[in-house]
Amino acid sequence: MPHIDQMIHKGGARRSIRFGVLLFLAAAASTAGGQKLLVPMDDEQQNHLKAYGLTYNAIKANQKAEWLLNYRGGAFLLPDLPALRREAALDGITVEQISNARVDQIRAEMAAANMDAVPLEKAPKVAVYTPPDAAPWDDAVTLALKYAGIPYTPIYDDEVERGDLTKYDWLHLHHEDFTGQLNKFYYTYRDVPWYVEMTNANLTAARRLGFANIPGLKKDVAERIRQFVEKGGFLFAMCGATETLELAIAGRTVDIAQAFADGSPPDPGADAKMDWKMALAFRSAHVEPSAYVSSMSDIDGHQVNVPGRRQPLGSFTLFNFSAKFDPVASMLVQDHRAVIADFFGVTTSFTKALLKPGVTILAFEPGAPWVKYVHGDYGKGTWTYFGGHDPEDPQHVIGSPPTDLSLHKNSPGYRLILNNVLFPAAKKKPLKTSP
Amino acid sequence: MLTVELLAGAVASAQSRPVADSVAFMKALQLESDGRYREAAPYYRATLFGADGQNAFLGLERVYAELGWTDSLLAPLDSLLRLRPADPIYRSAQLRSLQSLGREAELRIAFDDWTRAAPSDAAPYREYARMLLQRNRSSLADSVVAQGKRAMGSIRGLESEVAQVRASTGDWIESARAWRMALAFSPELDQAAAYSLMPIPSATRDSVRNIFLAPPAAVASRLALARLEMTWGAAANGWRALRDLPPDSTSVDAWIDFAERAESDGQWAMARDALIAAGKARPSAALSLRAASAALNAGDANTALLLIPLSGAGTDSARIARLYVPLHVRALATVGRVDEAQSLAASFNRWLVPALRSSITRTVAWGWVRRGDTDRARQALAAVGPEADSSDTAGWLALYEGDLRTARHLLRTGTESTPELALALGTVARIKVDRAPEVGAAFLALARADTIAAAAGFVAAAAATPDAASTLMSIAAQLYVARKDDPRAIMLWSRILDQLPQSAEAPEAELDWARALLRKKDAPAAIAKLEHMILNYPQSALLPQARRELDLAKRIIPAADAAH
Repeated sequence: MPHIDQMIHKGGARRSIRFGVLLFLAAAASTAGGQKLLVPMDDEQQNHLKAYGLTYNAIKANQKAEWLLNYRGGAFLLPDLPALRREAALDGITVEQISNARVDQIRAEMAAANMDAVPLEKAPKVAVYTPPDAAPWDDAVTLALKYAGIPYTPIYDDEVERGDLTKYDWLHLHHEDFTGQLNKFYYTYRDVPWYVEMTNANLTAARRLGFANIPGLKKDVAERIRQFVEKGGFLFAMCGATETLELAIAGRTVDIAQAFADGSPPDPGADAKMDWKMALAFRSAHVEPSAYVSSMSDIDGHQVNVPGRRQPLGSFTLFNFSAKFDPVASMLVQDHRAVIADFFGVTTSFTKALLKPGVTILAFEPGAPWVKYVHGDYGKGTWTYFGGHDPEDPQHVIGSPPTDLSLHKNSPGYRLILNNVLFPAAKKKPLKTSP
Repeated sequence: MLTVELLAGAVASAQSRPVADSVAFMKALQLESDGRYREAAPYYRATLFGADGQNAFLGLERVYAELGWTDSLLAPLDSLLRLRPADPIYRSAQLRSLQSLGREAELRIAFDDWTRAAPSDAAPYREYARMLLQRNRSSLADSVVAQGKRAMGSIRGLESEVAQVRASTGDWIESARAWRMALAFSPELDQAAAYSLMPIPSATRDSVRNIFLAPPAAVASRLALARLEMTWGAAANGWRALRDLPPDSTSVDAWIDFAERAESDGQWAMARDALIAAGKARPSAALSLRAASAALNAGDANTALLLIPLSGAGTDSARIARLYVPLHVRALATVGRVDEAQSLAASFNRWLVPALRSSITRTVAWGWVRRGDTDRARQALAAVGPEADSSDTAGWLALYEGDLRTARHLLRTGTESTPELALALGTVARIKVDRAPEVGAAFLALARADTIAAAAGFVAAAAATPDAASTLMSIAAQLYVARKDDPRAIMLWSRILDQLPQSAEAPEAELDWARALLRKKDAPAAIAKLEHMILNYPQSALLPQARRELDLAKRIIPAADAAH
C-alpha cells in the first residue's frame, strides 16, 4: 500500500487543503484508474467507528457505496477518490486500494457464501431528539455520530410539536422518559439543582405548548413519534426511551404517571386499560405502580435501579441472519464480534415474553428471559431498540465522566448504533425471514 | 462413598482406643503438619465433641480440603449443628463447604437455617453476602444485606458488606457512607475501603471526600481517604486528609504510613510534610533525617538544613559524618553555598569512609558545576582521585566543555537516570563530531538554570552542528515554550519544517506548533497544522497523539474536564 503522502500527491491535493469533504468530492468526479477503496471492518480496521462516517459522507456526496454484508466484518466498498483517502488518512481509518478485478473476485466469493452486497445510495437526514442544553457527550448515539463525523440535527419538544419530524429520515431518541416522570428520580434527586432545573424546563415547555403537565406533553410527543414511524420514518432508541415510548403510546388515555409528575395518583387499573395495539414492540406489560420503585414496568429485564430485582450483567450474542434474504437485519448486526459484554441503562434489556409476534430479535443473552437488541416494521417505517445506556461504560451513573470514543474506536457495541444510521441508506427493499 | 466408609472405620478404630482427646488432637495436628492428611482425619474426627472440638473441626475441614473430601464434612457438621445450632464457626464452615461443592439450593437453605437459629446475629447475612460478592453475584448479595437490615433494624455488623455491594453496583456515595461506618468499628479495613472505592469517577470524588472528611475526624476513615487520593494521583489531597488529625499515637502511625507510600511513589513534598508532622509529635533523629532527605528530593534544600541542624546532631563525629554530613553537603551545594559544603566535607574528612567520601566530593563538584565554575568542579573531582574521572559528574563536565566523546562514554555508563540525562544522551547521540563547544556551552547555561541563554546557545549550536541542527533547535523551542515565549518557539519550528522537513523532529515540531496555536485559541489554524502533520508524516510515532488532538480541536471528543 503506498504511503498516504504519495497518494495525496497523486490526487493533486498535497498542501493546504482546507475544504469540506462534500465540496471536494463534488469536484473529484472520477475515480483513480478504475480502482475501489475497500474499508475492511474486521480486526484489520484501525478505526471502526470513523469508517461509518467515511461511508456516510461518501454517500452524502452522491458517491456510490456498497455495504458488503458478512464480508470482512461488514466491509464497505467506496470509490477510490483522493478526498476519501485523505479523510481516511486523517482519521486513521484502514482502507485498501483494490482493482476492479479484485472486486470481481470478492463478488464471486460473496455469491457462494452467506454474504451480499447492498448498495448505499442516499444518506439519511438524521435528527436526534435531545434537550437543547444537552452536551453531545450526554448520549451514546450523539457521541457516536459526533465521533464518526455524521451530521445530525438536535430537535426537542418544540420542533416535534410543530411537525418538524417530517423533515428527517432517521430519528434517535435521547434517553428520555416519555411517561413524563423524569425517570422517577423525584424521591432521590428532588432537591438536587440539575433535577430542579430539568423539571422546571420541561414544565415550562409543557405549558408553553398547551399541556397541563409534563406527562401530557411527553405522551403527545410519543404519539407524534409513533406517527413518524407509521408514515415511513426510521426510529432508533436506546435505554429508557425504548420502554417509556412504548408505555406512553399504549397508555395514551391512561393515567400511568405518579402524583409528583401530574398531581394525581396513577390509575390502579392501568394495566387493564393499556392499549398495546398501538405500541411498536411490546404487549401486555405490567406498569410499575409504586412511586418509590425506580422502574417503569416489567419490560426491562434487568431492573438496574431496583435493589431486590436487579439482575447481573452478562454478555449478549448477535443473531446471524441470511444476508441474501434478510439484508436489513443483517445490516443491523454487522460487527467484528458476535458476543459483546452487556451494559446497564435505565432500561437494560427487554423481557422476551412481552415482545409482540413478528419482532426480530437481533441480539440475545443465551438462557436469559430477556433480549438486548430488537427491530421491527411498523406501518411504512421501522424501529430498532437497543437496551442500555453506553456500550463502553457498563455501569454508567449520573456524574460519570463522558466516554471518550477515541479510546474505544473499535467498540463492537458502538458499531451496532452506527449500523442503524447507515441501514436506511440501503437501496434494497427488505425481504424478511425473521427468526 | 468409599471414602466415607473408610473414614468411618478409621474413626471407629480411633474411638475404640482409650486415647484422651487432647492427645488425639495433638496427634492429628502433628500428622497434618507432616502432610499425612489421610491419617490425621480420623484423629480430628475422634475429638470433634471434646474440649478441643472447634479446633478439631477446623483441622478436619483443612485436611478434607487437602484430600478433596469436603463432601465428607457435611455429616459431622449436621451432628455438631444439632448440638450448637447458632455456632458461627460451624455455620460458616457449612456455607463454605456447600459453596465449594456448588450446592446452591442447599447453601441458601443453610443460610436461612442460620438466620432462624440466630435471629439477632448479623453473622449469617455477613458470611453469605461475602460469599456472593466473591462470586460477583452482587444483586443477590444486595438482597441478603437488605434482608439482614430488615431483620436487625440496622446495618450494624454488615457495614463493610453493604459498602461492597454498593460499590459493585456503582452506588459510590452509599458505599462511601457504609465504609465510613464500617471503619468506625473495624479500622483495619482502611485498605479494603480504598481498594473498593478506587474506581469512583472523578465527578463523584468530591462527594466521597466530604463523607470521609466529615466530623468527627477519625484516623481510619482519613487514612482510607488518603490511600484513595494516592491511587487517584492526588497525593496532596491525601496529605490534606490526614494533616489535621490530633497528634496522638494512631495519627502519628498514620502519618508515617502515608509518608512511606509517598516516598515509594516519589511524592517527596508530601513525604516531607508527613514526616515533619510525625517528627513534631514523636521527635526522633531518624524521622528528622528521613524528612530532610525527602525535602532534598523535593528540591527544598533550605527546609532540609533546618530539619537537621548540626548543633543538634550530638557529639559522635563518626555518626554525624555518616548520617548528617551527606545531607548537609547536598543541601548546601543545591542552594549554591558550595564553599560551605566543601568546608564541611573537609572538616569531617577523617571520619568519612572512602565510598562516602567519594560520593560527597562528587556532590561538591556537582555544586560547582551548578554554579558554572567548571575549574573548581575539576579541582574537587581531582581530590577524589582517578575514580572520579569515570563519574557521572565527570561526564557532565566533559559535556559542558564540549568533549562529546568523553561525555557519551561516561554519561551512558553512569548511574544517573534523570530527564536531563536523557536529553543530553539523546542529543550527543545525534552529533557525529567528538567536539562541539557550542553544544557544551548551551548545556552549561541550562545547568545554571539560565533558560534564555541556554535557548540562544542551542540555536547557535544548531548553526555550528548541522548534523544535529533539528534536535538542537527543537530543544531551544521547548525552552522557549517553557518560558511561555511561543512566538520564538514557532520561529524555530518553522525553520525545522522549512529547512529540515525530513528530520525526526519535523513532525514533533508541527505537533508542538499546533498545540501553541490551540493555546492561542486558534483552532482552525491548529487543525490545519495537525492535518498537515498527519498527512505528511504517516509513519510518525506521534500520529495517534496527533489524531486525538485533532479530534479534541474539532470538539469531536470531550475534553478531559467535560462532565455530565
